[in-house]
Amino acid sequence: MADILHKESKVIEAISSKFKIDGKLQRERRVWVTADKDNLIALCNFVKELGFEHLSAISVTDWPEEGTFELTYHLWSYSEKILLTVKTKLDRANPIVDSIVPIWKENAQIHERELHELFGVKFEGNDDLAPLFLEDWDGPPPFRKDFDWRESVRQKHYDKTNEREQAYYD
Amino acid sequence: MTKQMNENRLITIEQIEPIIEEDTEYNFYFGPAHSGSGNFGVKLKIDGEKVTSARADPGYLHRGFEKLMEYRVPMQNAVLSDRLCILEALNWNLVHAEAVDELTGVEVPQRARYIRVLVAELSRLQSHLIWYGVMSLALGFDTGFKMAFGYRDYILDLFELITGGRVYPAGYICPGGVRRDLPDGSQDKISRVLDQTEEMMRKMKDFDNVVFSKRTKGVGILSTEDAIRLGATGPVLRACGVETDVRKDDPYEIYNELDFGIPVREEGDAYARCLVRDKEMEESIRIIKQVLDRIPEGNVREPAKITPPSRVKIPEGEVYVRNEVARGEGCVYMRSVGGGEPYRVKVRGPDFLHMIPVLEHLLKGAEIADIPAIYWSLNICPADMDR
Repeated sequence: MADILHKESKVIEAISSKFKIDGKLQRERRVWVTADKDNLIALCNFVKELGFEHLSAISVTDWPEEGTFELTYHLWSYSEKILLTVKTKLDRANPIVDSIVPIWKENAQIHERELHELFGVKFEGNDDLAPLFLEDWDGPPPFRKDFDWRESVRQKHYDKTNEREQAYYD
Repeated sequence: MTKQMNENRLITIEQIEPIIEEDTEYNFYFGPAHSGSGNFGVKLKIDGEKVTSARADPGYLHRGFEKLMEYRVPMQNAVLSDRLCILEALNWNLVHAEAVDELTGVEVPQRARYIRVLVAELSRLQSHLIWYGVMSLALGFDTGFKMAFGYRDYILDLFELITGGRVYPAGYICPGGVRRDLPDGSQDKISRVLDQTEEMMRKMKDFDNVVFSKRTKGVGILSTEDAIRLGATGPVLRACGVETDVRKDDPYEIYNELDFGIPVREEGDAYARCLVRDKEMEESIRIIKQVLDRIPEGNVREPAKITPPSRVKIPEGEVYVRNEVARGEGCVYMRSVGGGEPYRVKVRGPDFLHMIPVLEHLLKGAEIADIPAIYWSLNICPADMDR
């Protein structure tokens, strides 16, 4: 087992020796690392040099009780064949994080633009955060947990006095 | 009378308005009402015949699936996952089911794994046939379009037989396995359809020299560095000389037991992307034949008896599942806090990158006449971009 997971352990070792953070080995080819927000750019630069040149996706998970947004950066290395996920947490009331556009360029740009629209996370250094999917949307970022889309749809698109649409109000 | 009319038509030099430089620049909208663009548009700025800037205009198919999935249990989400890409519903079924399986840690029966790969590869075949059809249409070659869609229908007949739905399988590949076993005699029918598909591919080769090569060679060239930087995956990346395939590099299901090749081209142009897909279809047929030879007997779902969805809980955890769908790398990030519904689902569609950064990059500096060839050589699908 240890032999098979040799390259994964090497990645974790390289990261932990440089940044004093622990990596988690989930299974073959899956490594998870949690970084501090201030460390994020330095860590991203470091892992890009390690060979993680493909940014597969960026995702945001909303934790309203905790008051945080959790960002996950999913990175794939074509040479090592490992998927590295870098996680970091932001303050939900003031969700600002440094952009990774200087590292992964246009690929990161479009992912950040999407998340800015859907979660309202601001990526500092990304100069094009124009709305992507939602046309003429002036409500709160719709993918946040505290946004009640059912209520919003009822108010915007349904009529309580309409007999056929009353079912939506039960 | 005639003389006077002729005189009126004469225009003196002074009457001709001088051509001003700025007049050769104009805006040009490709889609969303264009017959071949899908529910998606590109806003172009054009100078004469050359595209000077391109900006993608997505959102016409945004249905908020990631949010919807937070309100539904996995069995319902399996049905939703069909709609992630209309043109390759079963491949997306598989991505979703694998994410749930990895979280629950269920041991999927071996027969179910074979059936999953079988239908996913059939789905890839029919998706590439759609691509061939629409690409032909974009290049003004209607016969190719009609033939490809005709032959695709044989595969849809198989889907109807196996899953019950021609285009949407209604979550046939579900968490834990597949919904039902292959019906009697379906193996013979699949073999017959494979013969028909091979017949279509022989015909595709005849056309290749005439239409495709003239319109696509040297058009929309993507360099290897650009492709990786812009996030291109799948056939688009393989046509730029990168030998990578999620089925080989990050194997899932039974792909590591199967023998198949990764077609790669070095040129990076639209023609190379066509050839890569053509070869991929051959490899898919090889995979299906191996699966049909080796498919074991047994159960097709774990647990075999259907549990009421309200009683099924997803254990706490998070996974990131990568699959090779027909268009590239299709991924699902799923986070669960132990409830019946996932806490967060993120879907990464290959076309999110192909249709925005890659397309914008390729269109810049292209000729107007080359736009359809570039556009369809990427084999785009607005559904998995907008989600």
